[in-house]
Amino acid sequence: MSKVLSIAREESRLWLRSRLALFTLLIFTVLLAAVSIATSLRMSEEHRERSEQQALAEETFLSQPDRHPHRMVHYGHYVFRTPPPLAMIDPGVDSFTGQSIFLEAHRQNSAMFADARSGAELGGFQGLTAALVYQLFVPLLLIAIGHGVFIREREENTLAPLLAQGVTGNELYAGKWVAMAGVTLALLLPLAMVSAAAVVRGEALLASFGVMGLYALYLFVWCGVILLVSAMVRSRALSLGILALFWLASALIVPRMAVESAVSAVPAPGKIETDLRMQAELREVGDGHNAGAPQFQQLRANLLIQYDVERVEDLPVNFRGVVSEVAEADVTEVMNRFAEERMDLEVRQARFAESFGWLSPVVAVSAGSRALSGTDLATHHRFLREAEDVRFDFVQGLNRVHVEQLDYTDDINRSLNEEANRRTRMSAENWNVLDEFSFQPAAADQRLARAGAPLGMLSAWLLLLTAGGIRAARRMQP
Amino acid sequence: MSGLIREIRFLASDRAALLWLGIALLVACVSVILGLREIAAQRAVLNDLIEIDYAEREVLDTLYQDWGDVAYYTFHLTWDSPSDFAFAALGQRDTSPWKHQIRALALEGQIYETDAENPDFALIGRFDFAFAANLLAPLLLILLLHDLRSAERTAGRYELLSATAASRGSPWFARAALRTGALALCLIGPLWAGGLPGGAGASTLILASLVVILHIAFWWSVCVLVDRYGWTSPVNLTALVGAWLALAVIVPAAIKISVEAAVPLPDGGEILLTQREAVNDAWDLPKAATMEPFIERHPEWADYTEVGQPFEWKWYYAFQQVGDQTVEPLSQAYHDGRIGRDRLVGSLAWLSPPALAERAMQALADTNVAATLAYEQRVRAFHKALREYYYPRLFRGEPVSTASLEQRPQFQGNES
Repeated sequence: MSKVLSIAREESRLWLRSRLALFTLLIFTVLLAAVSIATSLRMSEEHRERSEQQALAEETFLSQPDRHPHRMVHYGHYVFRTPPPLAMIDPGVDSFTGQSIFLEAHRQNSAMFADARSGAELGGFQGLTAALVYQLFVPLLLIAIGHGVFIREREENTLAPLLAQGVTGNELYAGKWVAMAGVTLALLLPLAMVSAAAVVRGEALLASFGVMGLYALYLFVWCGVILLVSAMVRSRALSLGILALFWLASALIVPRMAVESAVSAVPAPGKIETDLRMQAELREVGDGHNAGAPQFQQLRANLLIQYDVERVEDLPVNFRGVVSEVAEADVTEVMNRFAEERMDLEVRQARFAESFGWLSPVVAVSAGSRALSGTDLATHHRFLREAEDVRFDFVQGLNRVHVEQLDYTDDINRSLNEEANRRTRMSAENWNVLDEFSFQPAAADQRLARAGAPLGMLSAWLLLLTAGGIRAARRMQP
Repeated sequence: MSGLIREIRFLASDRAALLWLGIALLVACVSVILGLREIAAQRAVLNDLIEIDYAEREVLDTLYQDWGDVAYYTFHLTWDSPSDFAFAALGQRDTSPWKHQIRALALEGQIYETDAENPDFALIGRFDFAFAANLLAPLLLILLLHDLRSAERTAGRYELLSATAASRGSPWFARAALRTGALALCLIGPLWAGGLPGGAGASTLILASLVVILHIAFWWSVCVLVDRYGWTSPVNLTALVGAWLALAVIVPAAIKISVEAAVPLPDGGEILLTQREAVNDAWDLPKAATMEPFIERHPEWADYTEVGQPFEWKWYYAFQQVGDQTVEPLSQAYHDGRIGRDRLVGSLAWLSPPALAERAMQALADTNVAATLAYEQRVRAFHKALREYYYPRLFRGEPVSTASLEQRPQFQGNES
């Protein structure tokens, strides 16, 4: 054990003496700190803004004057997706999905105002986040300082004496590993601080620890790659070349290839296409605005029998309201079916792309990071589903008011004159059918479960690389 | 000449250099193929949609007897066809809509909807030629050039080679020039091979090649600069990758943050809320409150403003228009802000050659912010034409007829 520690100590002593290593470390620490702070500030500002807008939207809805209830279902409501605390590390899909949805009767609108659409366009990486720096660029630093950990012993002719002193390959590997792991843990400090800040802001400990663990595991994978290559080749130039190639492939090429493959393996139609294909089915349901439509004749007959009356006017309920209510339920059923199909396709695409984590640890860590931070596709879908629940509830709540409180005769005569129109305005007290909305990501254990596959991939990477590295270290000859 | 042949032989025997060049060629080929495939897929989707949209309207045209209903229920597809060079730089087509459905209601409530692809993918980005040439190629050039001199130095041949060369530095220059040229060829070759059959104009391809060459030349000069210090290969490589990180990643990110702070945009949510309030308040206001601002814009309907019933379609569409008028200042500010941001980025991009090259390619491919905004303007113009078609029919209370429906404006795509 003491041999292991002294090898590790020697390595770090050399790094501290090397101006290049110190310089790159310093630059990265500044970069990490700056990016972490910038991402944190931006996401907390977004959180504050969207919470305020949500409160304002609810207040505005509730303060509407007396109206015909159907006017209110078209007046509609807005819901905002507030970012979870861990978005300070990984904003994920936040800036690509749009943050608010307009909810109204008979329609499922898409989320609007994605930041990416109005942002400054420079190509390349869309904005620098703490997550991106850890995923793509910290490995470069590890390569820069670690590519020669074994090769150095050869170059300086210290390998032979070391081995002669009875240091085994295992101990040599362990020593170098401890040294690399030490640097890695030091580099994780900014991440730890932001994670702690997220806990203060209400994030579950489990999720915060999960993110820390994920990134630690990920960077250890890179340590494993670096140690393996450094133990196997004899020249620094070759070691650097191989590591650069691995980085180029896993950080830049494979993630985008994963996207391209997923797009062609699982084609998903866009929203307009889905909407257009849905129209025919929606027409079969019938237009809820038109109580005389043939689709509602059966409903009308059933109601007349049920209440044992001759005319619609004699029903104890407002027939127009009943039609609105029934049509809304049917239309929603159709819309949800199409929406679920679409979301299912997107999830399958994402899962397909995620499987490229077996080829590149970068793909695995980015999927895991989004899942744990609550900024992944699944969380966006959760938002869409919750928004739909809010929409359906308030629309049907108002339709109920239409059915029960609004007299049918007044209703059909509402366009005759202003006085008749006034009688169809229901009290604003009814508007409190609207539920408060505050978007929360899934519970920490569910997010951890979603990150299970990426965590498994990274563990497999780490195991294989460590085994390979130890094998290579054991075979080292001076 | 014999020098060049010698250098080519030398390059042919350098396995590492061949590997990097091979990767460059492979990456460029793959990016061009994927780009062409994506553009073909977008065209296919558009063709499908245009057909469905047309069929859908044919069905709708038989359903309604009232112009108000016709205008309310009929959606129109609008689209932005990809240019023939779009395969090389997908640019904004990845995040901004290139297809959009609108109807004759208030436009501000509709125009910001996005028919987006899987957001996971927009986040990671697509594998297009611009990515290969602007982000990957500099790294490959760095790998090709970082140890030209230092490797010879390590091998102990440097002094000998320098002393025997005809002029100081010439073997290095020829060697570096050959590698740089080979890399540029590995990129430009596939671009032309995919672009010419794909229909991209030769002039566009020449300009794009020029962008690639200038950008690669810039990175060569960076390599030369670092090489002067006479460091060892690993230090050279670290410094050069550091330069790449700074110029390709950090500077663009800093530009993005500062531009977005310097040119604030009105909040999108505010545009929607203001528009909705204006439209909905109209229901509770006297009809004149809607008709007066409407007539200011459309004096030709001044004689038809009498609204006798609590609900009339012409009044309904008038307040839709007034809703748009109310948010016009905000909407204009949003539009101007996006142009302002783009202009400022355009000037600041000179600080980051990769960003500059990316923007140049997006401009050639018509996939830049300006192209997105131009599409938005086309949608606005079409919406205006729709309104102008419906207003006479609504205000004069004309009956719905097939002949009249046939005069309805159709969206004209930008296909060349």
